[in-house]
Amino acid sequence: MMALTASRLIDGEVVFWNRGQWVERFGQAELFEADEVAGQAEAAAKGQPNVVIDPYLIAVSEAEDGFAPVAYRERLRALGPTNLRHGKQEEGGHDVEVITRAVGVARSGGRHNLIKRK
Amino acid sequence: MYQYDAIDKAFLDDRVSEFRTQVQRRLAGEMTEDQFKPLRLMNGLYLQLHAYMLRVAVPYGTLSSAKMRRLAHVARTYDKGYGHFTTRTNMQFHWIKLREAPDAIASLAEDGLHSMQTSGNCIRNTTADPRAGATAEEVDDPRVWAEAIRQWSTLHPEFTYLPRKFKIAITAAAKDRTAAKTHDIGLSLRRGRDGSLGFEVMVGGGLGRTPYIGQTIREHLPVGRLLSYLEAILRVYNRHGRRDNNNKARIKILVAQLGTEEFARQVEAEFALIDGSKVDLPDEELARIRGFFAPPAFATLPAVSKVFEEAKARDPALARFARQNTHAHKVRGYVIVDVSLKAPGETPGDISAEQMDVMADLADRYSFGEIRVTHEQNLVLPHVKLDDLPAVHAALAAVGLATPNINLISDIIACPGLDYCSLANARAIPIAQDIARKFADPDKAEQIGELKIKISGCINACGHHHVGHIGILGVDKKGEEFYQLTLGGSGAEDAEVGKILGPALPAGRVAEAVDQLVEVYLRERKDGERFLDTYRRAGLEPFKEAVYVAAY
Repeated sequence: MMALTASRLIDGEVVFWNRGQWVERFGQAELFEADEVAGQAEAAAKGQPNVVIDPYLIAVSEAEDGFAPVAYRERLRALGPTNLRHGKQEEGGHDVEVITRAVGVARSGGRHNLIKRK
Repeated sequence: MYQYDAIDKAFLDDRVSEFRTQVQRRLAGEMTEDQFKPLRLMNGLYLQLHAYMLRVAVPYGTLSSAKMRRLAHVARTYDKGYGHFTTRTNMQFHWIKLREAPDAIASLAEDGLHSMQTSGNCIRNTTADPRAGATAEEVDDPRVWAEAIRQWSTLHPEFTYLPRKFKIAITAAAKDRTAAKTHDIGLSLRRGRDGSLGFEVMVGGGLGRTPYIGQTIREHLPVGRLLSYLEAILRVYNRHGRRDNNNKARIKILVAQLGTEEFARQVEAEFALIDGSKVDLPDEELARIRGFFAPPAFATLPAVSKVFEEAKARDPALARFARQNTHAHKVRGYVIVDVSLKAPGETPGDISAEQMDVMADLADRYSFGEIRVTHEQNLVLPHVKLDDLPAVHAALAAVGLATPNINLISDIIACPGLDYCSLANARAIPIAQDIARKFADPDKAEQIGELKIKISGCINACGHHHVGHIGILGVDKKGEEFYQLTLGGSGAEDAEVGKILGPALPAGRVAEAVDQLVEVYLRERKDGERFLDTYRRAGLEPFKEAVYVAAY
């Protein structure tokens, strides 16, 4: 499973793709089962260079009671730093709890096409 | 402290408006990210994990109270109420929005702060001894020369596109508090046998992927020829430094490939061609700069302060603070006060806007308005009367800034790591916090004595792990955070690159391993030995055994 993420140009915020819209929370992200659909979304996102920077697909897996990015780095992007409760985790919520509890690993930065699952 | 004149101010204002236009054009879609990125980087604006990061230069680590208040204002207005001091004595704001970045930079410029040359392949902020102007150990004030380098290097047309970034450090004391030998150029001011001032010039030091200790190419460069000589070095580097491979583009690689002697020969040949009268500072300009660093109006005081002695006898916390965090001042009745940004559980180098304001107030009341930043991510009040030390200590303690741990095991350097940085492989901050918590007992920390732990979240080594007495490097091992330990590094005058202890450890094992290393030291040490000394005498083996054999 995959999600599409990027950094928003205007403020650097981590954003996720959902049916043509960019949303701020991983919990609202569209999850793709099929490579083809994901690839189409990625291509569409790359056509918005003045909205987001560097869109890419990340691997997502089932976690306890929900979904979470496979890569540690991507979980940090979805939550915020671990030394302070800043960033997205400040708001709390179910998706934040799921990602906070998630374990599991991915080789490399978690980009979908670079990952070897453990 | 150096004050900008009208030309400097106009220059900064122009730069702010130029950047504002560039941001507007980018947001309007008139520039692509590829076109814009080098422009924002020239203004110290990076895109990181959660937001843009703005790196603000603190030239030679010297801040006035007004500049510190300005940083507090920017932290409150454009960030989340705090900032992070780095190992280059700069300040980073980690939550900047692109649309607000021009306003933030304009605000900084109001007090003469800027973010130029904090990124890119140019000459970066020159660092200097944080005790400059306050310690009796120095032969001259290194800030005078650092300021000269700042002016010479700012937008120097020949050195704007170097093969790679370029870092210079200056110390004027034999005890090196700048890690000079880990810099592209390290300068050590000395007096020659004839009494003349000169620089020992060391080149090719650096950390990162391939660490090198700087090598001396001139024992005694007459101070007046500094800029010519720097120009000669930069010219040789600019001409021959590799540009085909980013990992091999630093001057250290060139010096290592040519050999120190050949590199020195080429520099001397270039130096001979330079007309010093066109490059070196005229005496009157040097005198003008020097005037800004004239000693403040110190009072005539007795060597012993009754107020302080009585307070110290009553208050063990003050006594401990004085023991660990204060140092001899060149003027009788004064001390240099180190302010630790390493309270156990906190993030090394982080400081809140409220704490910045308190530091500014304390500097105004007790330290002639001056604050210094150290490359070990701490602050210094350079000129505090012994009489005022109890009041300063109480004010620091009230805002969590009186941690008495300078140079001790919990005074850890850590880069922002994977919590903030897009280059990192692993987190650095939580490891520092784990270790600091494990050694939070101040008696135990004092018993252990000087022990420098330095942590980097990736091989770029912003956390100086190669030169930590204990160095810790975060690595990605099959997608998990692992940490490789090195022992025996030093960034001081006895600089050395540490040796790898053994296979990398999982995050949960690191603090425990440090504890095991400390136990070996406490068992093996002889009178007066620091951790580093014991390691140098006893070697790697007993330490390795404790971590890798005893544990399994």
